[in-house]
Amino acid sequence: MRSIPVADRRSGSGMGDAAMARARSTEDVVVGDEIVRERLSARVVHWIVALTFFVCLFTGLPIWTPYLGFLAHLFGGLHVCRILHPWAGVAFAVASVFMFVQWVSQMKLTKADREFITPKGMLRYFQYRNEDADVGKYNGGQKLLFWAAALGTVGLLITGLVIWFPLEFPQWVREASYLLHDAAFSLFFAMIIGHIYLGTAAEPGTFRSMIRGTVTKSWARLHHPRWYREVTGEKAGG
Amino acid sequence: MTADGLEIRQSSASVWGSATELRNLKVVSKLIDTTTCIGCKACEVACQEWNDLHIVPTTQTGTYQTMPSLDANYWNLIKFREVEESGFFAWLLRKDGCMHCADPGCLKACPAPGAIVQYQNGIVDVNPEACIGCKMCETGCPFDIPRYSAKTDKMAKCTLCVDRVQVGLEPACVKACPTGCLEFGDKAELVAVAKARVEQLKQNGFTQAALYDPPGVGGTTVITVLAHGDHPEWYGLPKDPQVPVAVSLWKNVARPLAALAIAGSFFAMVAHYLSFGPKTPKEGAEKPKGDKPA
Repeated sequence: MRSIPVADRRSGSGMGDAAMARARSTEDVVVGDEIVRERLSARVVHWIVALTFFVCLFTGLPIWTPYLGFLAHLFGGLHVCRILHPWAGVAFAVASVFMFVQWVSQMKLTKADREFITPKGMLRYFQYRNEDADVGKYNGGQKLLFWAAALGTVGLLITGLVIWFPLEFPQWVREASYLLHDAAFSLFFAMIIGHIYLGTAAEPGTFRSMIRGTVTKSWARLHHPRWYREVTGEKAGG
Repeated sequence: MTADGLEIRQSSASVWGSATELRNLKVVSKLIDTTTCIGCKACEVACQEWNDLHIVPTTQTGTYQTMPSLDANYWNLIKFREVEESGFFAWLLRKDGCMHCADPGCLKACPAPGAIVQYQNGIVDVNPEACIGCKMCETGCPFDIPRYSAKTDKMAKCTLCVDRVQVGLEPACVKACPTGCLEFGDKAELVAVAKARVEQLKQNGFTQAALYDPPGVGGTTVITVLAHGDHPEWYGLPKDPQVPVAVSLWKNVARPLAALAIAGSFFAMVAHYLSFGPKTPKEGAEKPKGDKPA
Protein backbone atom coordinates (compact mmCIF):
# COMPACT_ATOMS: atom_id res chain seq x y z
CA MET A 1 0.00 0.00 0.00
CA ARG A 2 1.35 3.37 -1.00
CA SER A 3 1.77 5.76 1.90
CA ILE A 4 0.76 9.34 1.35
CA PRO A 5 2.70 12.03 3.22
CA VAL A 6 0.56 13.98 5.67
CA ALA A 7 1.26 17.24 3.87
CA ASP A 8 0.01 15.81 0.59
CA ARG A 9 -3.23 14.65 2.09
CA ARG A 10 -3.93 18.11 3.37
CA SER A 11 -3.28 20.29 0.36
CA GLY A 12 -2.50 17.93 -2.48
CA SER A 13 0.39 20.14 -3.46
CA GLY A 14 3.21 18.24 -1.81
CA MET A 15 4.34 21.50 -0.24
CA GLY A 16 2.38 21.25 3.01
CA ASP A 17 -0.24 23.82 3.87
CA ALA A 18 1.43 27.02 2.78
CA ALA A 19 -0.91 29.33 4.72
CA MET A 20 -0.53 27.34 7.90
CA ALA A 21 3.22 27.35 7.52
CA ARG A 22 3.23 31.12 7.18
CA ALA A 23 0.96 31.36 10.25
CA ARG A 24 3.70 29.91 12.42
CA SER A 25 5.48 33.23 12.57
CA THR A 26 3.48 35.81 10.64
CA GLU A 27 0.00 37.23 10.49
CA ASP A 28 -1.99 39.62 8.28
CA VAL A 29 -0.60 38.17 5.05
CA VAL A 30 -2.46 36.71 2.07
CA VAL A 31 -1.57 33.18 1.02
CA GLY A 32 -3.56 32.02 -1.99
CA ASP A 33 -7.24 32.22 -1.07
CA GLU A 34 -6.49 32.43 2.64
CA ILE A 35 -5.39 35.16 4.97
CA VAL A 36 -3.22 34.48 8.01
CA ARG A 37 -5.05 35.97 11.01
CA GLU A 38 -3.43 34.68 14.19
CA ARG A 39 0.20 33.59 14.43
CA LEU A 40 1.11 30.41 16.28
CA SER A 41 2.27 32.12 19.47
CA ALA A 42 -0.98 34.07 19.72
CA ARG A 43 -3.02 30.88 19.33
CA VAL A 44 -0.97 29.00 21.93
CA VAL A 45 -1.38 31.81 24.46
CA HIS A 46 -5.12 31.96 23.74
CA TRP A 47 -5.56 28.25 24.35
CA ILE A 48 -3.50 28.27 27.54
CA VAL A 49 -5.77 31.04 28.82
CA ALA A 50 -8.82 29.03 27.73
CA LEU A 51 -7.59 25.81 29.37
CA THR A 52 -6.75 27.47 32.68
CA PHE A 53 -10.07 29.33 32.52
CA PHE A 54 -11.98 26.08 32.28
CA VAL A 55 -9.95 24.44 35.06
CA CYS A 56 -10.80 27.47 37.23
CA LEU A 57 -14.43 27.28 36.16
CA PHE A 58 -14.94 23.58 36.76
CA THR A 59 -13.08 23.57 40.08
CA GLY A 60 -14.87 26.75 41.16
CA LEU A 61 -18.44 25.84 40.24
CA PRO A 62 -18.79 22.91 42.71
CA ILE A 63 -17.48 25.19 45.50
CA TRP A 64 -19.88 27.89 44.35
CA THR A 65 -23.02 25.76 44.59
CA PRO A 66 -23.72 22.17 45.69
CA TYR A 67 -26.05 21.81 42.70
CA LEU A 68 -22.92 21.59 40.53
CA GLY A 69 -21.10 19.41 43.06
CA PHE A 70 -20.87 16.60 40.51
CA LEU A 71 -18.17 18.59 38.70
CA ALA A 72 -15.87 18.00 41.68
CA HIS A 73 -15.62 14.35 40.66
CA LEU A 74 -13.77 15.42 37.50
CA PHE A 75 -10.86 16.41 39.70
CA GLY A 76 -11.07 13.91 42.55
CA GLY A 77 -13.37 15.65 44.98
CA LEU A 78 -14.18 19.02 46.43
CA HIS A 79 -11.05 19.22 48.57
CA VAL A 80 -8.90 18.77 45.45
CA CYS A 81 -10.92 21.51 43.76
CA ARG A 82 -10.28 23.82 46.70
CA ILE A 83 -6.53 23.23 46.43
CA LEU A 84 -6.40 23.29 42.60
CA HIS A 85 -8.64 26.32 42.04
CA PRO A 86 -6.33 29.07 43.35
CA TRP A 87 -3.27 27.66 41.55
CA ALA A 88 -5.24 27.37 38.31
CA GLY A 89 -6.30 30.95 38.96
CA VAL A 90 -2.69 32.06 39.22
CA ALA A 91 -1.87 30.23 35.97
CA PHE A 92 -4.88 31.87 34.34
CA ALA A 93 -3.78 35.32 35.48
CA VAL A 94 -0.20 34.78 34.29
CA ALA A 95 -1.35 33.47 30.90
CA SER A 96 -3.75 36.41 30.67
CA VAL A 97 -0.85 38.83 31.12
CA PHE A 98 0.84 37.33 28.06
CA MET A 99 -2.43 37.52 26.13
CA PHE A 100 -2.90 41.14 27.19
CA VAL A 101 0.58 42.10 26.05
CA GLN A 102 0.27 40.37 22.68
CA TRP A 103 -3.04 42.01 21.75
CA VAL A 104 -3.22 45.30 23.62
CA SER A 105 -1.76 47.38 20.77
CA GLN A 106 -4.55 46.16 18.45
CA MET A 107 -7.35 46.79 20.91
CA LYS A 108 -7.61 50.59 20.95
CA LEU A 109 -11.23 51.56 20.50
CA THR A 110 -11.80 53.71 17.42
CA LYS A 111 -14.80 55.97 16.86
CA ALA A 112 -16.43 53.24 14.76
CA ASP A 113 -15.81 50.71 17.57
CA ARG A 114 -17.49 53.00 20.08
CA GLU A 115 -20.56 53.09 17.86
CA PHE A 116 -20.36 49.33 17.41
CA ILE A 117 -20.59 48.67 21.15
CA THR A 118 -23.58 50.90 21.80
CA PRO A 119 -26.78 48.90 22.42
CA LYS A 120 -27.98 50.01 18.99
CA GLY A 121 -24.75 48.94 17.35
CA MET A 122 -24.75 45.56 19.09
CA LEU A 123 -28.35 44.99 18.04
CA ARG A 124 -27.40 45.73 14.41
CA TYR A 125 -24.52 43.30 14.73
CA PHE A 126 -26.59 40.47 16.19
CA GLN A 127 -29.30 41.04 13.57
CA TYR A 128 -26.69 40.86 10.79
CA ARG A 129 -27.53 44.39 9.65
CA ASN A 130 -24.01 45.79 9.89
CA GLU A 131 -22.62 44.77 6.50
CA ASP A 132 -21.14 48.14 5.63
CA ALA A 133 -19.60 48.64 9.05
CA ASP A 134 -16.07 50.02 9.15
CA VAL A 135 -14.64 46.96 10.94
CA GLY A 136 -10.89 46.40 11.19
CA LYS A 137 -9.09 43.25 12.31
CA TYR A 138 -11.07 43.21 15.55
CA ASN A 139 -14.56 44.62 15.86
CA GLY A 140 -15.79 46.75 18.74
CA GLY A 141 -17.33 43.75 20.48
CA GLN A 142 -14.07 41.83 20.38
CA LYS A 143 -12.23 44.82 21.80
CA LEU A 144 -14.85 45.19 24.49
CA LEU A 145 -14.38 41.51 25.37
CA PHE A 146 -10.64 42.06 25.55
CA TRP A 147 -10.90 44.97 28.00
CA ALA A 148 -13.67 43.34 30.03
CA ALA A 149 -11.60 40.16 30.31
CA ALA A 150 -8.57 42.16 31.42
CA LEU A 151 -10.58 44.03 34.04
CA GLY A 152 -12.37 40.85 35.14
CA THR A 153 -9.10 38.96 35.49
CA VAL A 154 -7.63 41.68 37.70
CA GLY A 155 -10.80 41.65 39.81
CA LEU A 156 -10.87 37.87 40.06
CA LEU A 157 -7.17 37.77 40.95
CA ILE A 158 -7.39 40.36 43.72
CA THR A 159 -10.57 38.98 45.29
CA GLY A 160 -9.26 35.46 44.74
CA LEU A 161 -6.08 36.19 46.70
CA VAL A 162 -8.19 37.49 49.57
CA ILE A 163 -10.34 34.34 49.50
CA TRP A 164 -7.19 32.19 49.31
CA PHE A 165 -5.61 33.85 52.36
CA PRO A 166 -8.64 35.25 54.22
CA LEU A 167 -7.01 35.42 57.62
CA GLU A 168 -4.53 38.03 56.37
CA PHE A 169 -7.34 40.49 55.61
CA PRO A 170 -9.93 42.37 57.67
CA GLN A 171 -13.47 41.03 57.85
CA TRP A 172 -15.03 43.61 55.52
CA VAL A 173 -12.43 42.96 52.81
CA ARG A 174 -13.16 39.22 52.96
CA GLU A 175 -16.91 39.77 52.82
CA ALA A 176 -16.58 42.13 49.84
CA SER A 177 -14.25 39.67 48.10
CA TYR A 178 -16.69 36.76 48.29
CA LEU A 179 -19.39 38.94 46.75
CA LEU A 180 -17.18 40.50 44.08
CA HIS A 181 -15.54 37.19 43.10
CA ASP A 182 -19.04 35.80 42.61
CA ALA A 183 -20.19 38.79 40.54
CA ALA A 184 -17.00 38.93 38.47
CA PHE A 185 -16.98 35.22 37.67
CA SER A 186 -20.63 35.09 36.65
CA LEU A 187 -20.30 38.07 34.29
CA PHE A 188 -17.05 36.64 32.96
CA PHE A 189 -18.64 33.25 32.33
CA ALA A 190 -21.73 34.80 30.72
CA MET A 191 -19.42 36.77 28.43
CA ILE A 192 -17.36 33.70 27.53
CA ILE A 193 -20.53 31.81 26.59
CA GLY A 194 -21.18 34.57 24.05
CA HIS A 195 -17.55 34.50 22.93
CA ILE A 196 -17.63 30.74 22.27
CA TYR A 197 -20.95 30.98 20.45
CA LEU A 198 -19.80 33.78 18.15
CA GLY A 199 -16.48 32.04 17.51
CA THR A 200 -18.11 28.76 16.47
CA ALA A 201 -21.78 28.28 15.59
CA ALA A 202 -22.76 31.87 14.86
CA GLU A 203 -19.93 32.71 12.48
CA PRO A 204 -18.71 29.71 10.48
CA GLY A 205 -15.09 30.00 9.46
CA THR A 206 -14.07 31.85 12.63
CA PHE A 207 -12.93 28.93 14.77
CA ARG A 208 -10.19 27.94 12.33
CA SER A 209 -8.53 31.31 12.90
CA MET A 210 -7.71 30.07 16.39
CA ILE A 211 -6.86 26.52 15.24
CA ARG A 212 -5.02 26.85 11.91
CA GLY A 213 -4.46 30.57 12.26
CA THR A 214 -6.00 31.26 8.87
CA VAL A 215 -9.32 32.47 7.50
CA THR A 216 -10.73 32.61 4.00
CA LYS A 217 -10.84 35.81 2.04
CA SER A 218 -14.63 35.70 1.86
CA TRP A 219 -14.79 35.34 5.65
CA ALA A 220 -12.55 38.38 6.11
CA ARG A 221 -14.58 40.40 3.61
CA LEU A 222 -17.80 39.58 5.45
CA HIS A 223 -16.72 40.05 9.06
CA HIS A 224 -13.74 42.42 8.92
CA PRO A 225 -14.03 44.43 5.68
CA ARG A 226 -11.53 47.14 6.58
CA TRP A 227 -8.95 44.56 7.66
CA TYR A 228 -9.61 42.70 4.41
CA ARG A 229 -8.91 45.84 2.39
CA GLU A 230 -5.77 46.61 4.38
CA VAL A 231 -4.35 43.12 3.99
CA THR A 232 -5.28 42.50 0.36
CA GLY A 233 -5.25 46.01 -1.04
CA GLU A 234 -8.59 45.20 -2.70
CA LYS A 235 -11.76 47.21 -2.59
CA ALA A 236 -14.64 46.03 -0.41
CA GLY A 237 -17.01 43.69 -2.18
CA GLY A 238 -14.47 43.19 -4.96
CA MET B 1 -32.71 5.76 63.43
CA THR B 2 -30.19 8.38 64.38
CA ALA B 3 -29.15 8.60 68.03
CA ASP B 4 -31.33 10.78 70.23
CA GLY B 5 -31.03 14.42 69.15
CA LEU B 6 -28.56 13.71 66.35
CA GLU B 7 -30.91 14.01 63.43
CA ILE B 8 -29.51 16.78 61.27
CA ARG B 9 -31.55 19.99 61.30
CA GLN B 10 -29.25 21.93 58.95
CA SER B 11 -26.25 20.91 56.90
CA SER B 12 -23.79 23.16 55.07
CA ALA B 13 -24.13 23.43 51.28
CA SER B 14 -27.06 21.01 51.33
CA VAL B 15 -30.70 21.36 50.52
CA TRP B 16 -32.08 19.42 53.43
CA GLY B 17 -30.84 17.85 56.61
CA SER B 18 -32.13 14.48 57.79
CA ALA B 19 -34.35 15.86 60.53
CA THR B 20 -37.89 14.51 60.23
CA GLU B 21 -39.12 16.51 63.20
CA LEU B 22 -41.43 13.58 63.83
CA ARG B 23 -39.99 13.05 67.26
CA ASN B 24 -40.19 15.54 70.07
CA LEU B 25 -36.49 16.02 70.72
CA LYS B 26 -35.24 18.49 73.25
CA VAL B 27 -32.85 21.30 72.47
CA VAL B 28 -29.87 21.27 74.78
CA SER B 29 -28.03 24.19 76.28
CA LYS B 30 -24.92 25.05 78.23
CA LEU B 31 -25.21 27.85 80.74
CA ILE B 32 -22.12 29.88 81.58
CA ASP B 33 -22.50 32.02 84.71
CA THR B 34 -19.57 34.43 84.42
CA THR B 35 -20.24 35.75 87.95
CA THR B 36 -19.29 32.50 89.64
CA CYS B 37 -16.34 31.59 87.42
CA ILE B 38 -13.08 31.63 89.41
CA GLY B 39 -10.77 31.24 86.39
CA CYS B 40 -9.41 27.85 87.52
CA LYS B 41 -9.26 26.57 83.93
CA ALA B 42 -10.43 23.10 84.93
CA CYS B 43 -12.75 23.31 81.88
CA GLU B 44 -9.78 24.02 79.60
CA VAL B 45 -7.95 20.94 80.88
CA ALA B 46 -11.05 18.74 80.73
CA CYS B 47 -11.65 19.84 77.13
CA GLN B 48 -8.08 19.04 76.09
CA GLU B 49 -8.22 15.68 77.85
CA TRP B 50 -11.61 14.49 76.65
CA ASN B 51 -11.01 15.54 73.04
CA ASP B 52 -7.42 14.22 73.09
CA LEU B 53 -6.12 17.54 71.81
CA HIS B 54 -2.39 18.08 71.72
CA ILE B 55 -1.14 20.63 74.20
CA VAL B 56 -0.41 23.95 72.53
CA PRO B 57 2.46 26.09 73.85
CA THR B 58 1.04 28.73 76.16
CA THR B 59 1.70 32.43 75.66
CA GLN B 60 2.24 34.92 78.45
CA THR B 61 0.34 38.11 77.64
CA GLY B 62 0.49 39.74 81.05
CA THR B 63 -2.71 38.11 82.31
CA TYR B 64 -3.71 34.70 83.60
CA GLN B 65 -5.00 33.82 80.14
CA THR B 66 -3.49 30.65 78.68
CA MET B 67 -3.02 32.10 75.19
CA PRO B 68 -4.23 35.12 73.23
CA SER B 69 -7.08 33.35 71.47
CA LEU B 70 -8.59 30.00 70.56
CA ASP B 71 -6.66 27.51 68.45
CA ALA B 72 -7.47 24.54 66.23
CA ASN B 73 -6.04 22.53 69.14
CA TYR B 74 -7.62 24.59 71.92
CA TRP B 75 -11.40 24.92 71.85
CA ASN B 76 -12.11 26.27 75.31
CA LEU B 77 -10.34 29.35 76.64
CA ILE B 78 -11.03 31.43 79.73
CA LYS B 79 -10.62 35.07 78.75
CA PHE B 80 -9.33 37.34 81.51
CA ARG B 81 -10.18 40.95 80.80
CA GLU B 82 -9.66 44.11 82.81
CA VAL B 83 -12.12 46.90 82.17
CA GLU B 84 -11.51 50.42 83.38
CA GLU B 85 -14.01 53.13 82.58
CA SER B 86 -14.42 56.51 84.34
CA GLY B 87 -13.33 55.38 87.77
CA PHE B 88 -15.02 51.99 87.43
CA PHE B 89 -12.87 48.88 87.36
CA ALA B 90 -13.83 45.25 86.77
CA TRP B 91 -11.88 42.05 86.31
CA LEU B 92 -14.01 39.88 84.06
CA LEU B 93 -13.63 36.20 83.28
CA ARG B 94 -15.50 34.48 80.49
CA LYS B 95 -15.24 31.02 79.01
CA ASP B 96 -14.76 31.52 75.25
CA GLY B 97 -15.75 28.82 72.77
CA CYS B 98 -18.35 27.97 70.19
CA MET B 99 -21.79 29.42 70.98
CA HIS B 100 -23.63 26.85 68.82
CA CYS B 101 -25.94 29.45 67.22
CA ALA B 102 -29.45 28.53 66.16
CA ASP B 103 -28.64 30.39 62.92
CA PRO B 104 -24.96 29.49 62.46
CA GLY B 105 -22.98 31.86 60.23
CA CYS B 106 -20.23 29.26 59.80
CA LEU B 107 -22.69 26.73 58.43
CA LYS B 108 -24.22 29.30 56.11
CA ALA B 109 -20.83 30.32 54.68
CA CYS B 110 -19.50 26.75 54.33
CA PRO B 111 -19.39 25.48 50.70
CA ALA B 112 -18.65 21.82 51.53
CA PRO B 113 -21.75 19.63 51.80
CA GLY B 114 -22.04 18.22 55.31
CA ALA B 115 -18.82 19.72 56.66
CA ILE B 116 -20.76 21.71 59.25
CA VAL B 117 -24.01 20.29 60.57
CA GLN B 118 -26.52 21.38 63.14
CA TYR B 119 -28.23 18.58 64.99
CA GLN B 120 -31.82 18.63 66.08
CA ASN B 121 -30.61 19.20 69.66
CA GLY B 122 -28.94 22.47 68.62
CA ILE B 123 -25.31 21.38 68.63
CA VAL B 124 -23.28 22.68 65.66
CA ASP B 125 -20.71 20.06 64.75
CA VAL B 126 -17.84 19.79 62.27
CA ASN B 127 -17.18 16.79 60.04
CA PRO B 128 -13.45 16.94 59.22
CA GLU B 129 -13.87 14.36 56.48
CA ALA B 130 -16.06 16.74 54.46
CA CYS B 131 -14.16 19.94 55.37
CA ILE B 132 -12.12 21.33 52.47
CA GLY B 133 -10.10 23.86 54.48
CA CYS B 134 -11.38 26.97 52.67
CA LYS B 135 -11.77 29.04 55.89
CA MET B 136 -15.07 30.57 54.77
CA CYS B 137 -16.56 29.61 58.16
CA GLU B 138 -14.13 32.01 59.82
CA THR B 139 -15.70 34.84 57.83
CA GLY B 140 -19.22 33.60 58.54
CA CYS B 141 -18.82 33.36 62.32
CA PRO B 142 -19.74 36.52 64.24
CA PHE B 143 -17.93 35.23 67.36
CA ASP B 144 -14.52 34.48 65.78
CA ILE B 145 -14.58 30.83 66.84
CA PRO B 146 -13.59 28.44 64.00
CA ARG B 147 -9.88 27.86 63.72
CA TYR B 148 -8.06 26.56 60.65
CA SER B 149 -5.26 24.07 61.16
CA ALA B 150 -2.60 24.15 58.44
CA LYS B 151 -1.41 20.76 59.68
CA THR B 152 -4.68 19.01 58.79
CA ASP B 153 -6.06 21.58 56.30
CA LYS B 154 -9.32 21.43 58.28
CA MET B 155 -11.33 23.65 60.54
CA ALA B 156 -11.80 22.75 64.20
CA LYS B 157 -13.91 24.08 67.06
CA CYS B 158 -15.86 23.02 70.15
CA THR B 159 -18.35 20.22 69.40
CA LEU B 160 -20.12 20.67 72.73
CA CYS B 161 -18.82 17.14 73.38
CA VAL B 162 -21.50 15.74 71.09
CA ASP B 163 -20.00 12.27 71.63
CA ARG B 164 -20.75 12.58 75.35
CA VAL B 165 -24.11 14.28 74.91
CA GLN B 166 -25.45 11.56 72.63
CA VAL B 167 -24.94 8.99 75.38
CA GLY B 168 -26.57 11.17 78.00
CA LEU B 169 -23.50 12.76 79.57
CA GLU B 170 -22.76 16.45 80.06
CA PRO B 171 -19.85 18.08 78.12
CA ALA B 172 -16.40 17.57 79.68
CA CYS B 173 -16.05 21.25 80.67
CA VAL B 174 -19.32 21.14 82.60
CA LYS B 175 -18.30 17.90 84.32
CA ALA B 176 -15.02 19.48 85.48
CA CYS B 177 -16.32 22.86 86.69
CA PRO B 178 -15.83 23.03 90.49
CA THR B 179 -18.03 26.06 91.22
CA GLY B 180 -21.10 25.05 89.24
CA CYS B 181 -20.85 28.09 87.04
CA LEU B 182 -21.31 25.71 84.10
CA GLU B 183 -24.57 23.83 83.75
CA PHE B 184 -25.89 21.60 81.02
CA GLY B 185 -29.45 20.55 80.22
CA ASP B 186 -32.65 21.38 78.43
CA LYS B 187 -32.54 24.89 76.97
CA ALA B 188 -35.94 26.01 78.26
CA GLU B 189 -35.05 24.85 81.78
CA LEU B 190 -31.62 26.49 81.74
CA VAL B 191 -33.03 29.79 80.48
CA ALA B 192 -35.29 29.77 83.56
CA VAL B 193 -32.30 29.05 85.83
CA ALA B 194 -30.32 31.85 84.16
CA LYS B 195 -33.19 34.33 84.52
CA ALA B 196 -33.49 33.56 88.24
CA ARG B 197 -29.75 34.13 88.58
CA VAL B 198 -30.03 37.46 86.74
CA GLU B 199 -32.79 38.54 89.17
CA GLN B 200 -30.57 37.58 92.08
CA LEU B 201 -27.68 39.64 90.64
CA LYS B 202 -29.98 42.63 90.19
CA GLN B 203 -31.00 42.41 93.83
CA ASN B 204 -27.32 42.25 94.78
CA GLY B 205 -26.68 45.58 93.07
CA PHE B 206 -25.77 44.50 89.54
CA THR B 207 -28.77 46.29 88.07
CA GLN B 208 -27.60 45.81 84.47
CA ALA B 209 -27.21 42.04 84.82
CA ALA B 210 -28.58 40.15 81.81
CA LEU B 211 -28.71 36.85 80.01
CA TYR B 212 -26.74 36.79 76.76
CA ASP B 213 -28.76 34.76 74.24
CA PRO B 214 -28.42 37.03 71.17
CA PRO B 215 -31.53 37.02 68.92
CA GLY B 216 -29.49 38.21 65.92
CA VAL B 217 -28.28 34.63 65.41
CA GLY B 218 -31.58 33.09 66.48
CA GLY B 219 -30.35 32.62 70.02
CA THR B 220 -27.43 30.44 71.04
CA THR B 221 -27.16 26.99 72.56
CA VAL B 222 -24.47 28.30 74.89
CA ILE B 223 -26.09 31.02 76.99
CA THR B 224 -24.16 33.37 79.25
CA VAL B 225 -25.09 35.29 82.42
CA LEU B 226 -23.33 38.65 82.49
CA ALA B 227 -23.22 40.92 85.56
CA HIS B 228 -22.67 43.84 83.21
CA GLY B 229 -25.27 42.79 80.67
CA ASP B 230 -25.38 46.25 79.10
CA HIS B 231 -21.73 45.88 78.07
CA PRO B 232 -21.20 42.42 76.50
CA GLU B 233 -18.20 43.90 74.69
CA TRP B 234 -16.44 44.16 78.07
CA TYR B 235 -16.44 40.37 78.01
CA GLY B 236 -15.28 40.20 74.41
CA LEU B 237 -18.77 39.42 73.13
CA PRO B 238 -20.32 41.31 70.20
CA LYS B 239 -23.22 43.53 71.23
CA ASP B 240 -25.61 42.39 68.51
CA PRO B 241 -24.06 39.47 66.61
CA GLN B 242 -25.52 38.70 63.18
CA VAL B 243 -24.67 36.36 60.36
CA PRO B 244 -22.62 38.83 58.26
CA VAL B 245 -24.92 40.61 55.80
CA ALA B 246 -22.45 39.94 53.01
CA VAL B 247 -22.66 36.18 53.62
CA SER B 248 -26.46 36.22 53.37
CA LEU B 249 -26.30 38.54 50.36
CA TRP B 250 -23.74 36.31 48.70
CA LYS B 251 -25.65 33.07 49.23
CA ASN B 252 -29.22 34.31 48.90
CA VAL B 253 -29.00 37.16 46.38
CA ALA B 254 -25.69 37.20 44.49
CA ARG B 255 -25.72 33.47 43.76
CA PRO B 256 -29.21 33.30 42.22
CA LEU B 257 -28.48 36.47 40.23
CA ALA B 258 -25.22 34.96 38.97
CA ALA B 259 -27.03 31.76 37.97
CA LEU B 260 -29.57 33.87 36.09
CA ALA B 261 -26.82 35.79 34.27
CA ILE B 262 -25.09 32.58 33.18
CA ALA B 263 -28.28 30.78 32.17
CA GLY B 264 -29.54 33.97 30.52
CA SER B 265 -26.43 34.25 28.39
CA PHE B 266 -26.67 30.59 27.37
CA PHE B 267 -30.34 30.75 26.41
CA ALA B 268 -29.89 34.07 24.63
CA MET B 269 -27.29 32.45 22.38
CA VAL B 270 -29.54 29.45 21.70
CA ALA B 271 -32.43 31.80 20.91
CA HIS B 272 -30.19 33.85 18.63
CA TYR B 273 -29.06 30.80 16.70
CA LEU B 274 -32.63 29.59 16.29
CA SER B 275 -33.87 32.96 15.04
CA PHE B 276 -30.90 34.21 12.99
CA GLY B 277 -28.75 31.19 12.31
CA PRO B 278 -25.11 31.47 11.27
CA LYS B 279 -23.82 34.58 9.59
CA THR B 280 -22.70 33.71 6.07
CA PRO B 281 -21.96 35.77 2.94
CA LYS B 282 -24.95 36.82 0.89
CA GLU B 283 -26.19 34.87 -2.09
CA GLY B 284 -23.82 35.24 -5.01
CA ALA B 285 -20.81 36.07 -2.90
CA GLU B 286 -18.03 33.56 -2.33
CA LYS B 287 -18.88 30.84 0.17
CA PRO B 288 -16.94 31.09 3.45
CA LYS B 289 -15.73 27.49 3.12
CA GLY B 290 -12.59 27.23 1.06
CA ASP B 291 -10.35 25.08 3.23
CA LYS B 292 -8.43 24.53 0.02
CA PRO B 293 -6.84 27.49 -1.70
CA ALA B 294 -8.31 28.00 -5.17
